Amino acid sequence: MAAVVGSPRMRKLESALIYATLTVLVLAFLFPVIWVLGLSLKTRAQVFAAPPLYLWWPTFENYAAVLARSDFLRAFTNTLIVSTSAVLLSLGVGAPAAYAFARFPFKGRSILFFALLVMRMLPPIAVLVPMYLLFNKIGLATTRLSVVLAYTTFSLPLVVWIMRGYFEGLPVELEESAGIDGASRFGAFMYVILPLARPGLVAASILCLQLAWNDFLFSAVLTNSATQTLPVMMTAFSAGDSGMDWGGLTASGMLVTLPVILFSFVAQRHLVAGLSSGAVKG
Amino acid sequence: MSEMGNIVKTASLERWFDRYFVQATVLPTFLVMVCVFGVPLVFSFYLSFTGWDLEQPLLAGRFVGLANYDDVLTNSVFKKAIYITLGYTAATVAAQMLLGLGIALLLNVDLPGMRVFRTALIVPMMVTPIVGALCWKLLLDPSHGVFNQWIGEKIVWLGRTDTAIYAIWLVGVWQNTTYVTIILLAGLRSLPSEPIEAAAIDGAGRLAAFWFVTRPMLRPYIVVALLLRTIFEFRAFDNIYAMTGGGPANSTMVLSMYTYLVTFVQFDFSIGAAAAWLMLLMSLVLCVLFILVIRRAL
Repeated sequence: MAAVVGSPRMRKLESALIYATLTVLVLAFLFPVIWVLGLSLKTRAQVFAAPPLYLWWPTFENYAAVLARSDFLRAFTNTLIVSTSAVLLSLGVGAPAAYAFARFPFKGRSILFFALLVMRMLPPIAVLVPMYLLFNKIGLATTRLSVVLAYTTFSLPLVVWIMRGYFEGLPVELEESAGIDGASRFGAFMYVILPLARPGLVAASILCLQLAWNDFLFSAVLTNSATQTLPVMMTAFSAGDSGMDWGGLTASGMLVTLPVILFSFVAQRHLVAGLSSGAVKG
Repeated sequence: MSEMGNIVKTASLERWFDRYFVQATVLPTFLVMVCVFGVPLVFSFYLSFTGWDLEQPLLAGRFVGLANYDDVLTNSVFKKAIYITLGYTAATVAAQMLLGLGIALLLNVDLPGMRVFRTALIVPMMVTPIVGALCWKLLLDPSHGVFNQWIGEKIVWLGRTDTAIYAIWLVGVWQNTTYVTIILLAGLRSLPSEPIEAAAIDGAGRLAAFWFVTRPMLRPYIVVALLLRTIFEFRAFDNIYAMTGGGPANSTMVLSMYTYLVTFVQFDFSIGAAAAWLMLLMSLVLCVLFILVIRRAL
């Protein structure tokens, strides 16, 4: 960390300047979300008031209206089911592979690893076109499984990338002593290595969860009104028969995104670690 | 092999990790990737050389050679989309890098309360992209949006060819500048402090110390952030879909949006596959660059 240097007066001035700049930046970055949060707590008349209202008694009628809709609750359930399944599948399949990548010098290891990375980097829309066609032909389209599979292919490289870093950081002596104690390779992995790599598992699952929860494109194409997830369902408020429903759109938008934001505050340490290890360590 | 030989074999760690364990652990990942990711890619490669529609069996398309590619590459909307995508990507990434680096340098100063600022600045990145885009759409609304209310005009920000692309750009910068900040902050934290202190003792100013000491050491992180953001902005979709849908007059029509419209609105799967593959090839160049860079950093 850089320290503030110079004479005491200069130091004070500089600290004040840094705080002021950061405060302005925070206000600018948070403004859209805070303003829309405010809109969601206004009545219809208050939303359209000009000049805009800055102080008002908040109403929860928009939230009540959104939460009373059966399609919103169904989309919420779908999102929960789909994102947890995608996280579990990605971790279950990806963590053992990451372990192999970290520990065993097998033939073609770096080629396979970089092939995985490339898959993560390709534009999703390019894969979605044929995925939609094939899923359509084998009857998978419009099922929840189809989006779970799609999310898994985008999470797997992420899981392998992050977990490999964590496994590499653990000393090999752990498996050696487990082996001497009679544990099998699988046993050593399951009962010695995995518990120690828990921070990595947490970081990877948070990033996968976010990926699945926030996705719009795949869900928009691969699901129907019965299986759609929240980000797709809520766009219905912006293009209803009677134009844009401001109350419904703002309240549902906040309901979709506030859990992610609150969760990210709680899990920030893991998230930052996951993002920067995944991005930088290679 | 003798009993004794087996014991010796298992005793050595190298043998202990035997081949089958590797196969059993790596195979599931590759099966999933090949079946759900690889097969569709190969299929779309095939589609891009055929005339095909949804009613036909999967492999019954008529071979048309390079006709689909010819159609796409001579299409004026597609050609324009290439320029818009490249311009949007360059402008967005440049702004994210500069702003992101600035914020990372500020957050790296050792003052109390920095964690609060970092937490708050991460918020735009956490907001569900489609929700973030819809928030901006409301702020920019011609008659009830807060920006127009403040300036007392009724500018249709997202409906004018001279403003829509800048609005999209602004949202892109707002959303992912912190991504750059996080990577660069991790980089700054990992740098040794001695060279920077030494530069200060030698009388180097703040700017000189940054330019000649910090910047070269931070370079790998800067390159990684730059390439990752380029790869991700190149495929930008959600914001544009939610805010303009590629309009007005195709002024925000990026390649993702074009491919989406051709495939899922016009239902021309062959042309869509050709457009998708052209996009793939372009991003593949970026990927190869990225991998060359991180391999050298390994």
